[in-house]
Amino acid sequence: MTTSMDRLAAAANGKIIDHIPVFCNLLDQGARELGLSIEDYFSKGEHVAEAQIKMQKKFGHDNVWSLFYVGKEAELFGCKKIRYATDGPPNVEDYIIQNYTDIECLQVPDDLSAHPKFAETAKCLQILKREVGGKVPICAYLTASMSLPAILMGMENWMELLMIGPVEVRDLLLEKCSDFFRKEIEAYRNAGADILVYADPYGSTDIIPMKLFKDLSLKWMKRDLEPGGLNGVVYYVGGARLNSVADEVIREVGIHAYYPGPLDDVTESMRIINDRALCAGVINDIKLLDWTPGQVREEVRRIVQGGLQVNNKFFFGTVVMPYGIPEENIKAMILAAKEFGRTTDG
Amino acid sequence: MLDDVIKAYNEAVLDTDRTRALQIVSDAVAQGVSPEDIVFKVVIPGLDLMVKALSEGFDTNLAQHFMTSQIAANVTEKMLELFQSPPEIIGHVVIGSAVGDLHTLGKRIVIGCLKAQMIEVIDLGVNVPAERFVSEALAHNAQVIGVSAMMVHTARGENGAIKVRRLLKEQGLEHKIKLVVGGAPFRYDPELYKVVQADAWAENGVSALKVIMDCIQEVKNNDHEHG
Repeated sequence: MTTSMDRLAAAANGKIIDHIPVFCNLLDQGARELGLSIEDYFSKGEHVAEAQIKMQKKFGHDNVWSLFYVGKEAELFGCKKIRYATDGPPNVEDYIIQNYTDIECLQVPDDLSAHPKFAETAKCLQILKREVGGKVPICAYLTASMSLPAILMGMENWMELLMIGPVEVRDLLLEKCSDFFRKEIEAYRNAGADILVYADPYGSTDIIPMKLFKDLSLKWMKRDLEPGGLNGVVYYVGGARLNSVADEVIREVGIHAYYPGPLDDVTESMRIINDRALCAGVINDIKLLDWTPGQVREEVRRIVQGGLQVNNKFFFGTVVMPYGIPEENIKAMILAAKEFGRTTDG
Repeated sequence: MLDDVIKAYNEAVLDTDRTRALQIVSDAVAQGVSPEDIVFKVVIPGLDLMVKALSEGFDTNLAQHFMTSQIAANVTEKMLELFQSPPEIIGHVVIGSAVGDLHTLGKRIVIGCLKAQMIEVIDLGVNVPAERFVSEALAHNAQVIGVSAMMVHTARGENGAIKVRRLLKEQGLEHKIKLVVGGAPFRYDPELYKVVQADAWAENGVSALKVIMDCIQEVKNNDHEHG
């Protein structure tokens, strides 16, 4: 029987076994699945693993997540306060960097695997590996050194430091974030993650100018990824657009998989990548809140056919799906991605 | 000479080079250009140019919006100290992040642009309850309430912009105070502002300037009609 892992391996080689891989980023929805509050849900690795497996079986997509919420990385750095919502993702409430002196004092943990704040993630990964390892790709979310400061000091303060702050302070922070990233990716790989989503919205020219991307983003990307290599790494720019930088990242860094933003033209993404790497067609999942299942199906058809018209090194994906998306729309989306992702003629 | 200053200033802003922009302004003042001309003939038309370029699809990025706003606000602040007489304030706006939302960058960009345009801004900070938006708007005679939301649940939540609208309606304030929203979810769903019953939305912080100015004008027209 074909597994999700088989599908992904085939797609990486430009082949479709039964249908293209369908990645679905269901995170907070796990709380609803288990009938827990979002805060209770994220307090235990067992909860996250159980819900991820349940949702994967229920909806039939091709991945599971070890990500709790993005603020987990700030907690590993010492953030003490997370703000929980009843209907959305938890957020960092106290930024550990309040001024530039805090950057000098910022300590990168020695051993992330042994860090108490990593314990629940490790537990989650252990269960996922035991239950679906080797069959369903296990995803981890790791924020790039250029983007991590946004959750350590807030987007506003990071933008200010990046654009008009002292260069030596900026570079010290980037170096610490990069050191953290190197340890983090190693910890996740050791704990059983297969797909390392390298999240770098500040590696998109929607956020910073091309010159800064070339001077800074590329440099720190190479440093982040150099020791552990590129195996399983996916370049992800969040909701930002990828197309203007994709060629540069392929040539300069050589990552093997790309996750454009929902506002990118997927056919153009595929043409730019031009068979050199795997590429996702990503749906604008905010619209899934209000669309009918029929509208969802049509949009998935457009995306999947738009990608496959170039070549088969293609998979379907979502960004971070809002909590309130109706289940019938999730089902319609996955069903349509499988239906239209069977052959190149759709 | 003023034409050269305008050209050089706009290029510096586009290059996100604050140091150069400030130097151009400082040199111009030293050579006799009045602080009033710097604000009204260089900074404000520069902002208008950026708004126009964005409306025509000119591809810019968040860092450029941030720098455009910060340079305009910095220059205006310095020039205002040198004005012969205080300029006319063209409107009042209260702005904040929706309840549950702690993001500040978009709000800061909007505030910088508004201040440069001689609009008084009351920044309510983050995680602002709907009641406070309305009470502060009343206290400051604001024509516009700006609600910023970076997350789907804070943009669409019952206690965010939707509640601000409800309070405005209940208190009969809809012709006196307009509700403008902005933030990532609105960018990914351009119809979302209707779902949350806002009067208008802006795709980015710089474009918010025109949207808010139009709303201020609309309220002023309403005031005129209602005597």
